[in-house]
Amino acid sequence: MKIRVVKEKCAGHARCWAQSPEIYDLDDEGYILDHDIDVPEGQERAAWLGAKSCPERALVIEDYKKDSAA
Amino acid sequence: MATVPDHVPAELVKDFSYFTGPGMCPMRGGDPQGALAALHDGPPVFYAPNNTYDGYGTWVFVRAEDQRRVLQDAETFSSHRKIFEKALGYDLPTIPLEVDPPEHGAYRSLLNPLLSPKRVMAMETANRARAVELIEAIKAKGNDCEVMNEFAFPFAVGVFLEFLGLPQSRREEFLGWADKQFHGTPEERGEAIRTVIAFMQELVELRRREPAEDFMTFVVQAKVDGREMTDKEAVGMGALLFVAGLDTVAAAIGFDFRYLAENPKQQEELRAEPKGVVLAVEELLRAFPTVIMTRIASRDTEYDGIKIKKGDRISCPSMVANRDPEEFPDPNTIDLARPNNRHVAFAYGPHRCLGSHLARRELAIAMEEWLKRIPTFRLKDDVAPTTYGGHVFGIEDVRLAWGAAGQ
Repeated sequence: MKIRVVKEKCAGHARCWAQSPEIYDLDDEGYILDHDIDVPEGQERAAWLGAKSCPERALVIEDYKKDSAA
Repeated sequence: MATVPDHVPAELVKDFSYFTGPGMCPMRGGDPQGALAALHDGPPVFYAPNNTYDGYGTWVFVRAEDQRRVLQDAETFSSHRKIFEKALGYDLPTIPLEVDPPEHGAYRSLLNPLLSPKRVMAMETANRARAVELIEAIKAKGNDCEVMNEFAFPFAVGVFLEFLGLPQSRREEFLGWADKQFHGTPEERGEAIRTVIAFMQELVELRRREPAEDFMTFVVQAKVDGREMTDKEAVGMGALLFVAGLDTVAAAIGFDFRYLAENPKQQEELRAEPKGVVLAVEELLRAFPTVIMTRIASRDTEYDGIKIKKGDRISCPSMVANRDPEEFPDPNTIDLARPNNRHVAFAYGPHRCLGSHLARRELAIAMEEWLKRIPTFRLKDDVAPTTYGGHVFGIEDVRLAWGAAGQ
């Protein structure tokens, strides 16, 4: 599973980080770091929750297998 | 009804106002956010000819997806609406709210670290102590209180003074300005705005002369685009903090406490399981946000076939986006453990509320400490709070009682 980060849409809500701090890193200003995220095995659920919490739709879930987040 | 511009087709005009519409006027037991949720039954975009306190018409965007598109496009939909011009007789842009990209980026980058999630965690201890002190004073006094005057405003103003580096001894003075600016007559509002601006100007001059470890010293010493901040810029930043950080947080505390007073079962669940407070605060921000985002078209444009002219006002009510059934299952049900809660109480796009991380912590601290110290509370004598609409929704009085009081 991969999370594509659409950096220009990030407005610094930091909801992804609040939901899943182990997956999402923020810079000193509170915005997400500008690179896509390879989600480690076993952390799909946390990554999914974080991505779904972004009000801007700045986090796109790719290669998502429904079973892994169930 | 005010005049409708020629480019607005008659079928998109709707008689509607945030100030006088159903549920918007001040009333006991009102539910202005719930009243606005009914807009989802109508057209997704419409024109309301008289929808500001000073008689302008606005386009109203109902759906969350449309609000997202508008607010993410700050170049077409400018945030510079000159909120102080009328009171001051000249334009003093609040920074960074009223500066659009690309200039916006430099100011925002400068201020972001001061209010980042990490920085807010560092302020936690002092802010919690402030809440505890106020609640203990209320508790020592008896078994009832009026939340807005005795807790919500003093708490929000206390946090603001601390952030600005000003002594708490000035709390009463600031409370007076805030009360006049947000709840006064038009004359009182103008006077309060001028007082706040004059205060910020003095503070800027003082910190240029005598630097200290505080916000305004940081601002006057900061470089933006390689140069020093002007007085006007520094004053515009201080003024924005005042406008944005006091009334909004206090109102949110009022709506939250009213909800818990009217829903004793959920109140008890949170008291028994304080870890639930953080999620509950998010759901109450979704259900009872207070701010309507306004933008002004910076050029002629078209939105899904609708002609919008340069200078048209565009209104994005967060409370309506937050009740969008496309975005939230069962939007009118308040579920304090709601998952995937991407509400927009703090707006979308580059102007997303700079103080949102601090505001969230203020709300969580207020609720945690209140539930910890005050036993099961209810509305005193069953007097429902007075709520009102407008550009910032509010709640005037939240009278609570607990224990044997009022029985």
